[in-house]
Amino acid sequence: MTVVAAVNVEALIVFAIVLSITLGITYWASQRMTGASTFYAAGRQITGLQNGLAISGDYLSAASFLGIAGLIYLYGFDGFLYSIGFLVAFLTVMFLLAERMRNAGKYTIADVLSFRLNERPARTAAALGTLAVAAFYLIAQMVGAGVLIQTLVGINFNLAVVLTGAFMLCYVIFGGMLATTWVQIIKAVLLMTGIVVMSLFVLERVGFNPIDLFTQAEENATSEDTTFSLAPGTFLDTPLDTVSLGLALVLGTAGLPHILMRFFTVPSAKAARGSVVWAMFIIGFFYLLTTFIGFGARVVLGEDGVEAAGTGGNLAAPNLAQALGGGAGTVGGDIFLAVIAGVAFATILAVVAGLVLSASGAVAHDIYSSIIRKGQDSEKEEVVVAKIAAASIGIIAILIAVIGGEGLNVSFMVGLAFAIAASANFPALLMALTWRRFNTTGAVCGVGLGVFSAIFLIIVSPGVWPGADSDTGSPIGWTLANPGIVSIPLGFLGCIVGTLVSSERGAERSFTELFVRSETGLGAEKSLPGH
Amino acid sequence: MSDGRDPAQHEAIDWEAIERSPEFQELVTRRRRFVLPCTIFFLVWYMAFIVVAAYAPDFMGESVYQGLTVGYCYALTQFAMVFVLGIWYLKKSDSTFDPLADRAIESYRDDDSHPTGRLEREPEAAPEVRS
Repeated sequence: MTVVAAVNVEALIVFAIVLSITLGITYWASQRMTGASTFYAAGRQITGLQNGLAISGDYLSAASFLGIAGLIYLYGFDGFLYSIGFLVAFLTVMFLLAERMRNAGKYTIADVLSFRLNERPARTAAALGTLAVAAFYLIAQMVGAGVLIQTLVGINFNLAVVLTGAFMLCYVIFGGMLATTWVQIIKAVLLMTGIVVMSLFVLERVGFNPIDLFTQAEENATSEDTTFSLAPGTFLDTPLDTVSLGLALVLGTAGLPHILMRFFTVPSAKAARGSVVWAMFIIGFFYLLTTFIGFGARVVLGEDGVEAAGTGGNLAAPNLAQALGGGAGTVGGDIFLAVIAGVAFATILAVVAGLVLSASGAVAHDIYSSIIRKGQDSEKEEVVVAKIAAASIGIIAILIAVIGGEGLNVSFMVGLAFAIAASANFPALLMALTWRRFNTTGAVCGVGLGVFSAIFLIIVSPGVWPGADSDTGSPIGWTLANPGIVSIPLGFLGCIVGTLVSSERGAERSFTELFVRSETGLGAEKSLPGH
Repeated sequence: MSDGRDPAQHEAIDWEAIERSPEFQELVTRRRRFVLPCTIFFLVWYMAFIVVAAYAPDFMGESVYQGLTVGYCYALTQFAMVFVLGIWYLKKSDSTFDPLADRAIESYRDDDSHPTGRLEREPEAAPEVRS
């Protein structure tokens, strides 16, 4: 039941199909590229349903698909706990940010902060938050892509990373947000189709009785040293750490720049609201089915499949697909494995494209256009800079992934990205949109404290310094792996204390405009005229 | 290309008058009366799930019926909560909040500043105006 090490021809064919479809879309989008609004926001012509699919495609990374299925396979309930956090997080997005972002913003989350605060410090802080989140998330995804493609298709890690990076840059540079959106929509459809088909195969094994699936999964975890349990606590074994993780998950999504940027692509706040609800249903349905994949892998592969599932159980889902198709060496098994590998590849491409686009917005729109050129550059110039920025960010991410190699800890970097998003971006955005007194000092203190406390607490966490194998513990006696429970309150505290100690009052006047605009949509950015 | 403010429109709209208007006040109050309790409810119900899972794993692992555990049932209520609150908020927005928002900005409806109006592209590189 191991995945082949030699080059997998069927998987390569599926990859080629995925790539040709997405390149076709990119060509189509490049013909419609008219300026900054198309490049960053797809002309704000994406419908609610389309954006709901694209949010799902942007959000459901390989970590969601392979990682959570693998965690459920290895540990049972604890893997499922992650999906709950990832899903409930969309209520935070819907109630607090989605419509307000659409009404108040233009291309980046920094637009919302600098609307009422002193432009240069506020934009710099917001761009820092965006870049920190996007960088860690992007590198994590690239390394994950390399490991996955190397194992599934049998091509070299470095080649896999470069290939992923090259296509990601192609979508972003030639097709901007328009191409990225459609790549994400197609990925979401592929992923949902893949997981529905796999779930049907799994449920068929237990006579379409999900409860039987759980019962059999537990019966299958008989070995003495199994980590699988229908109860929590086998993977997340430090209670306070679990609470900290849960908090970062539910608030972090509302600070992810590549997700928030998606709300600039729809024509109105109403469409933004609709798109979150579509995304909730798609993502919720996806996570419900992920449990069938995880428990199904436990039933079908059993304890014997643990070794073949690799680190974190990432290969449990592909191995399950192969087994459901008839097993290794059978035509059905090989084809099913190749299709799931192709779905995973499309998944990675869609996520990294969204990330690189949000990072290029922070560099070109926030730092270059608004801070260096003080808004005096032309729209054309800004788009050119955005493309150069995307290329540079992409190449740096490829280089770090290649140099760091498989040894880079993916889950550490994803955890860091969520922690920074929840501790830095989310508090500052929420305060700017809802608190009249909030000012520039508050924003700079909040983002700064959020970013640095999250990074510091992760560096001194037991798994990072002195390292996972050490038994001496953290140098300062810090025992939590997840910083959220401390760094999120610190982010809010920075916003509040910074605001109160500063005598700056101008931000209160411009709050009225931002407030009315974010609540009613008056004066919000328009979509481009129809096709 | 700076932030989203069009200077001409910025001057033309009396933001403070809109903010003081009863329609706008009603919009903000009614939306807050809905969103705030919902937000508190979902955060509490979700964090309670996390805390119980963290501190009472044995309770979560108890069987309700064969392999179906207390934890899984509690988790399913989270899915239900997300779907119900999502649909409810959509309905509430359509029936109450959107019409109120439209009324609050009614006097600006037919000019260029209406959010759903079909408009020309914004002028390029508009210099920023600070109040």
